[in-house]
Amino acid sequence: MELCDRSAHELLDLLRSKQVSAEEVVQSSLQRIAVVDGRPGSLESGEETDQDRRTVHAFISVAAEQALDQAKAIDQQLAKGEQVGPLAGIPFSAKDVFCVKDTYTTAASKILANFKAPYTSTAVERLQKQGAIMLGKVNMDEFTYGSSNESTAFQPCPRNPWDTSRVPGGSSGGSTSSVAAGEVPFSLGTDTAGSIRQPAAFCGVVGVKPTYGRVSRYGIIAFASSLDCPGPVTRDVTDAALMLQAIAGADPRDSTAANVPVPDYLATLEQGVKGKRIGLSPDYFQISYMDAESGEIHQKPVQEDISAAVYHAAEVLQRMGAEIIEDVPMPNTRYGIPAFFVISRVEAASNLHRYDGVKYGYRTPSAEDDLRVMYRKTRNEAFGLQPKLRILMGMYVSAAQYSEQYYNRALKVRALLRRDFDQIFDKQGKYQLDALLTPTTPTTAFPIGAIYGDSVLMQYSDQFTVTANHAGIPGLSLPGGIAADGLPIGVQLLGPDFSEHTLFSIGRALEIGTQDEVWRLQKPAVLR
Amino acid sequence: MTEYEVVIGLETHIQLNTKTKIFCACKADSWDDEPNTNICPVCTGLPGVLPVLNKAVVEKGVLLAKAMHSDIRMRSFFDRKNYFYPDLPKGYQISQYDLSLASGGYLDIPMPEGYTRRVTIHKLHMEEDAGKTKNAGNLRLIDFNRCGVPLVEMVTGPDLRSANEAAQYLIRLRQLLRWLDISEADMEKGHLRCDANVSIRPKGSHQLFTKTEIKNVNSIDNVKNAIEHEVERQIREVEAGNRVQAWTLDWDEEKNELRKMRSKETEADYRYFREPDLLPLDLTQAWLDEILADFPELPLERKARFISEYKLPEYDADILTGERNLSDYFESAVQHYAGDPKKVSNYLMNDILRMLNESGKTANQLQLTPTFLAEILTMVDAGQINTSTGKGLLEKVETSAKSPRKIVEEEGLGLVSDDSAIRAVAEKIVAANPKEVETFRAGKESLIGWFTGQVMREMRGKADPKMATKILMELLKK
Repeated sequence: MELCDRSAHELLDLLRSKQVSAEEVVQSSLQRIAVVDGRPGSLESGEETDQDRRTVHAFISVAAEQALDQAKAIDQQLAKGEQVGPLAGIPFSAKDVFCVKDTYTTAASKILANFKAPYTSTAVERLQKQGAIMLGKVNMDEFTYGSSNESTAFQPCPRNPWDTSRVPGGSSGGSTSSVAAGEVPFSLGTDTAGSIRQPAAFCGVVGVKPTYGRVSRYGIIAFASSLDCPGPVTRDVTDAALMLQAIAGADPRDSTAANVPVPDYLATLEQGVKGKRIGLSPDYFQISYMDAESGEIHQKPVQEDISAAVYHAAEVLQRMGAEIIEDVPMPNTRYGIPAFFVISRVEAASNLHRYDGVKYGYRTPSAEDDLRVMYRKTRNEAFGLQPKLRILMGMYVSAAQYSEQYYNRALKVRALLRRDFDQIFDKQGKYQLDALLTPTTPTTAFPIGAIYGDSVLMQYSDQFTVTANHAGIPGLSLPGGIAADGLPIGVQLLGPDFSEHTLFSIGRALEIGTQDEVWRLQKPAVLR
Repeated sequence: MTEYEVVIGLETHIQLNTKTKIFCACKADSWDDEPNTNICPVCTGLPGVLPVLNKAVVEKGVLLAKAMHSDIRMRSFFDRKNYFYPDLPKGYQISQYDLSLASGGYLDIPMPEGYTRRVTIHKLHMEEDAGKTKNAGNLRLIDFNRCGVPLVEMVTGPDLRSANEAAQYLIRLRQLLRWLDISEADMEKGHLRCDANVSIRPKGSHQLFTKTEIKNVNSIDNVKNAIEHEVERQIREVEAGNRVQAWTLDWDEEKNELRKMRSKETEADYRYFREPDLLPLDLTQAWLDEILADFPELPLERKARFISEYKLPEYDADILTGERNLSDYFESAVQHYAGDPKKVSNYLMNDILRMLNESGKTANQLQLTPTFLAEILTMVDAGQINTSTGKGLLEKVETSAKSPRKIVEEEGLGLVSDDSAIRAVAEKIVAANPKEVETFRAGKESLIGWFTGQVMREMRGKADPKMATKILMELLKK
């Protein structure tokens, strides 16, 4: 096992006991990037080559020199016996929506290709303050609009390290690819409908969507501000706890960041599941989607080996002392995607207004006297298909004559989705659950090109994850097995507001309970 | 000929005088600053940054709502008003829409003619200002300094019936804003901006007819002037058999005329929705109590009280309550003075106001404190100094900050009421003017005034004139 394949908590032990240096850790990561990443995404990528199809393309930009300088500085401090931060020497990547002072932050869009932020996002700043080293920015769906990473303006798009003909998921696909391929132990992602958890499941890593407001959104290019949650992508639950510990907490620059104290996640991590009440809901074992032509609702069970993996996880947890409660009704789950379609697009269209070619970012090169023409050309030339679709729909459903029918109605659905969760987590209620155990996704990673273009179908891969964004509650996705197609399966734990510590301890128990299973020995294809 | 009634509603934007902007820590007032010097990533709408509400804005908004008798909402919301314009860097303005800080309310406007006009308030909400765009040749220059400056938008009902009433409303609003220390309320500097909606209708009708909107008027006189012009124009149109069209008009101050900016056929759709970057604004009872703890008596209430409590003429009461510091000054002086409050008023209206105008100070900045003014009045009443010495003392106290009593002592300005000193001078005068003594004794007693004057002259005005007269009478009648 190479250094870069180790988890952050293992690396911290090695660094603290001076068995390895920070420079060695960073070098190991950079070498891995050189081997598996291939050429970074760019606006002028030309033809895709066979070589491109064999590499993961997680990164848009790698800051090798800066990272090595920081590593050397940490090593010097360690040599002198000086105090270093609790994450000193741990490399991380950040999805390219996290602004980092004086570096490019593109949101994987042509319109921001030349944008350098004069400030650093709170999440990145907190990791850096603790001594973690940013290795670079990772690719994503343009403006986070997608579930496959195919929509990035910076091609080649990221590929799944388990099978490079498959998508890594999205929109934090660069994050999960970079972690799964051993390029970094930590990555910062964002989750608006499942954008951390779905690619985490596809890539066989751990992804956390924290409670809304648990992690500050300051400095993160927004998709849908009322749903966006920054969070960790790691290789195991312990690292996820470690990373969330570093980035969580109130922030005077984000008034929606909660003033709720951050508990010591590591302290309760190993407390087990004895007496924990964990629910299973039939509404999370089938997807409901609308026929685009007839409007009829179709139902389809999730992929068989995925439901088997979730039931297996339940059995493992039960063996370890948890109480499993079946048939928990979550009746509004099926409306999660339609409501998300409306709410997220209204907010997205508004959030995209600022990219108008006036102040920063792309401006049409053709000289225009008419301001309106300048706006139109700029936005037409620099936004990809996905932002355009979201603008069209967002403008439509928030227009004065339609907003009652769509936007306001979607807000009511959102309240109902929240109520579903309030009822099952109610300490005086019928179910009194500590967590709900579900599949993260209805399928394993799909082939590149298979779904892209059908934005409705694409969205349905988020049906089990989007509910947590509507409700604001935390969700954790962790590996739960390998499917017959050789691709990872994710299982998801959902809990009440600010119950991340409980989700971590259940997830950690599941890791311990499955540590000897054979699928754990399998490795991503790019590492075989 | 048809008689017309004028119907006017005013939309005002009030720039609050907070230190910092509404959603960031940039300085709010940029009047003296170069373009684009008070800006940051938040107010220029860079990607990823977030607004954080300035509490002082809420506090000033609450004070205004209270003064306008509005219902204050304990929970209000911010909304996004979406539109594209280069000086609106986010492409939306953070404002309040359906559930704003306050609803309803009114302001009673006493008209100089004697009647009172009640003006209802339709909307009162907080919002951020946009920047300024300037065209220079074929360049469009944008100054973002004003982005994020806190505003309260207040819209009246169609309750005003003349240009003069509109002007009075603005005068009273300006007075109130300054009284509450909410805004500098200077129209020339854009602290108080006003758009006027104007329509006419046949007298007796209760219908609302098509209105025009007048924009960009930067003084109360111009508002009045522009409305008068517009009313005349509308009457001319109607008399000529035409319909008034829903135009937006621009006031050209230099040419003293209205210009058509655009026809307003359809309402713009701003696609309002709740601002997800801000939490609902919850006013707790404790916070509300804290904001309103020192809520002052308002100018019109105070004016009425000055009339009833101090028996001031209405004219005096109006002027003395024109500005809060002045009225506080008056009341403080009255409390330190046992005599007639009207005497205090006279000093204020004649001398102190002139002093304030000349120095540019407000009453609370004077070194001549209300206590010192009361001291001067008390000394005049007691005959310790004469009136002209008293008036002279005003300047001396103001420049030296010394107490009037001390100045009188140091400069020997007090009246001599020592019997022997006056008697000696009086005896000298009587002895030196045998002819006049003769005339007096022959019966022309009115000469006593002349004798007193001689004594006063000899003593350079410092003799107590009553005592001098008494002593002279004694000597002459001997």
